[in-house]
Amino acid sequence: MNAPIIDPLQGDFPEVIEEYLEHGVMKCIAFNRRGTLLAAGCSDGSCVIWDFETRGIAKEFRDKDSVAAITSVCWSKNGHRILVAAADKSLTLWDVVTGEKIARTTLQQTPLQARLHPGSSTPSICLACPLSSAPMIVNLDTTTITVLPVSLSDTANGVAPPSRNKFSDGSAPFTPTAACFNKYGDLVYVGNSKGEILIIDHKSIKIRGIVPIPGSSVIKNIIFSRNGQYLLTNSNDRTIRIYENLLPLKDGLKALDELNHESAEVDEVEKLRAVGSRCLALFREFQDSITKVHWKAPCFSGDGEWVVGGSASKGEHKIYIWDKAGHLVKILEGPKEALIDLAWHPVHPIVVSVSLTGLVYIWAKDYTENWSAFAPDFKELEENEEYVEREDEFDLVPEAEKVKDSDINEDEEIDIVTVEKDSAFSDSDMSQDEIRFLPADPCQDVPEQQDGHVLSTSKLGHGSQSLSPLSEEAGQNGHLTNHESSPLEEDTGGTRLKRRRKSSEKVLDFEEENVRKPQSKLKESINLLKTVK
Amino acid sequence: MASTTEPAESFKPYRLNHTLTGHKRAVSSVKFSDDGRFLASCSADKTARTYSLASPDAVHNEFHGHEMGISDLAFSSDGRFLATASDDRTVRLWDVATGSHIKTLNGHTNYVFCVNFNPQSNMLVSGSFDETVRIWDVKSGKCLKVLPAHSDPVTAVHFNLDGSLIVSSSYDGLCRIWDASTGHCMKTLIDDEHPPVSFVKFSPNGKFILVGTLDNTLRLWNFSTGKFLKTYTGHANSKYCISSTFSITNGKYIVSGSEDNCVYLWELQSRKIVQKLEGHTDAVLSVSCHPTENMIASGALGNDKTVKIWTQEAD
Repeated sequence: MNAPIIDPLQGDFPEVIEEYLEHGVMKCIAFNRRGTLLAAGCSDGSCVIWDFETRGIAKEFRDKDSVAAITSVCWSKNGHRILVAAADKSLTLWDVVTGEKIARTTLQQTPLQARLHPGSSTPSICLACPLSSAPMIVNLDTTTITVLPVSLSDTANGVAPPSRNKFSDGSAPFTPTAACFNKYGDLVYVGNSKGEILIIDHKSIKIRGIVPIPGSSVIKNIIFSRNGQYLLTNSNDRTIRIYENLLPLKDGLKALDELNHESAEVDEVEKLRAVGSRCLALFREFQDSITKVHWKAPCFSGDGEWVVGGSASKGEHKIYIWDKAGHLVKILEGPKEALIDLAWHPVHPIVVSVSLTGLVYIWAKDYTENWSAFAPDFKELEENEEYVEREDEFDLVPEAEKVKDSDINEDEEIDIVTVEKDSAFSDSDMSQDEIRFLPADPCQDVPEQQDGHVLSTSKLGHGSQSLSPLSEEAGQNGHLTNHESSPLEEDTGGTRLKRRRKSSEKVLDFEEENVRKPQSKLKESINLLKTVK
Repeated sequence: MASTTEPAESFKPYRLNHTLTGHKRAVSSVKFSDDGRFLASCSADKTARTYSLASPDAVHNEFHGHEMGISDLAFSSDGRFLATASDDRTVRLWDVATGSHIKTLNGHTNYVFCVNFNPQSNMLVSGSFDETVRIWDVKSGKCLKVLPAHSDPVTAVHFNLDGSLIVSSSYDGLCRIWDASTGHCMKTLIDDEHPPVSFVKFSPNGKFILVGTLDNTLRLWNFSTGKFLKTYTGHANSKYCISSTFSITNGKYIVSGSEDNCVYLWELQSRKIVQKLEGHTDAVLSVSCHPTENMIASGALGNDKTVKIWTQEAD
């Protein structure tokens, strides 16, 4: 991305709902690695891929046999595969480009969360966390299932642990156990019901470290930041905790072996705890001490600088954003619908949230147009500055103006071909193979009555995406000439979609008054600047 | 005047290889596809044509449908679709393989002058005499954004390498850089005397922009600093919007058409004219360089009506 001219202060956190996406009832979402595509799983069993740049539907996967609601979607690292977990206990692996089903397994229980192995480009193993038993590694090629231990006693006799009926803190029997891969997938971090984080080597199915969480309450979510340096846990005691990952990103197993050797403990449990304490260090705790709200779907921002968590209270759609230092920087409030899933865009300061009604809201910065960008030599000042005129400022022929020839060295060599690597993505050696976008085939126009048929093509082709709200997004900047040119579309679009936008009042007022004005305003300001110059 | 024709180092001159006739009026734009298999040209005769480079003399496909002359065209990155910008205020999408019309994008209120796909080819940008720049969704044909770009006709629009920025130029003398995803203006570039800008395009690495102005000058700007780095003169460009491009297949050159009926080649770093390709009988409006081979295509105005393909001799 061309960093030099994009204001660095801009890339912070979102503030308002920019628009929403609608297609059936969506349940869960996942961005691909670069954030150019958003996959959403629906309640009718289909999985929809949105082109996040155009906010239109790029592809849809539908399995005739499976119509159960999707519980989780996950992209493979290079975006070629999508793993979909559904309420009929199935896991399906889709090929994104061809839209074909690659593999399908049925488990004993509905997986609430399924994650593909993040280390390889064509992962065949995935981590599934079912509704009420231990997380398991599923090999999609061979359909073998390996259950992971959720507590130390499980590994003692090497048999699969029995499903638990009651947990130590008396919570309901069907509490899911949370688990996630670390950055390269060599270790699995499991959060169990005793409030312990277990570091497990999934190949040998051995627990290599234990980290007890203060408070020992059931862990509901556990997730790594993109760079693998921080781990987030969400516990039943309504606290989100951030741990710093002390293990090296690659070769974690080797480091664990070393730690094991170093540890002087004899007792196995103590040894594991000692090792564990060298793997994770508690960094911060977040909670809302006033409302003591439970958290839902917490996660990190793309660069790991922000932590976002949704309020799990039904009837409100609140998203809390903290910075890593622990300060609550923003609470985003949406329409009064419960929040069921949340994701932060890998690159941009955009948050996407799914509400109970199946709509996906896109939150972005409330951008005020940088009018000084329109004038080339306009310099914005933060505060009033005392202007000190030059010695010769009021001379008839100021000294400074005489020296007019450009001191541009035109003989300097310039390079027009080398492209700089994108620093935001550290292992971009992979990016040759990566899918960043799906080919967009333009839908055939229906000949003649084009305007009237716009509705029908959109019904057939790509569900009901947000039509004119897209131009309303532009409306925040005052560019609204769009509406006049396609009045028919606007009308039909308007009646079909419900407008539930946070900043809508401001935008609508602006709309009515200033449809054509922005352009002329611009002309005036340009002319003004010309004369000033 | 820097009209020396000494070859720099081992520059092999380009020679005329093919002359493609068929257009009935001035040729306004020529473009090679990214895969190097096709050449497309569009004309004031309301048609666009594609030629297969394997057999250029036979027309591959003709695209009829516009109601008025076409000013610009662009290939999608995979070469499957062609977009044309016309005086009938529409942009049309065509299927290259079959020659059939797929979509019409309505919205501009005056002649559409320039068009380009983004590298992902899911978005199109177009600039028009109605002084706006529009960003379209290729799949649905909807206009995603309307940018209040300039206060005079927009003469050129181009996406950068990763599709994150759009540059636009206009007769009002300004070049503006826009963020493609939000539509916000990032920067405005203007020179002290601001002659109408007839053409602008990003360099292959997206760091520089090549700006052609109607004072017979081409400049290479570093848009982040807002300063120009190189100036290329010697050609004639004061009336028409002549396109220019980078030639990077065999050394780095700037190639441009000219109103004196020639195609000019300058060496990028030294700014010396290394060759003038003569052969057209009217002003050369458009040039394009093949992505992999040392081939240049040029199209000229109404007295000439031809597209010429020039190649460098092999070793």
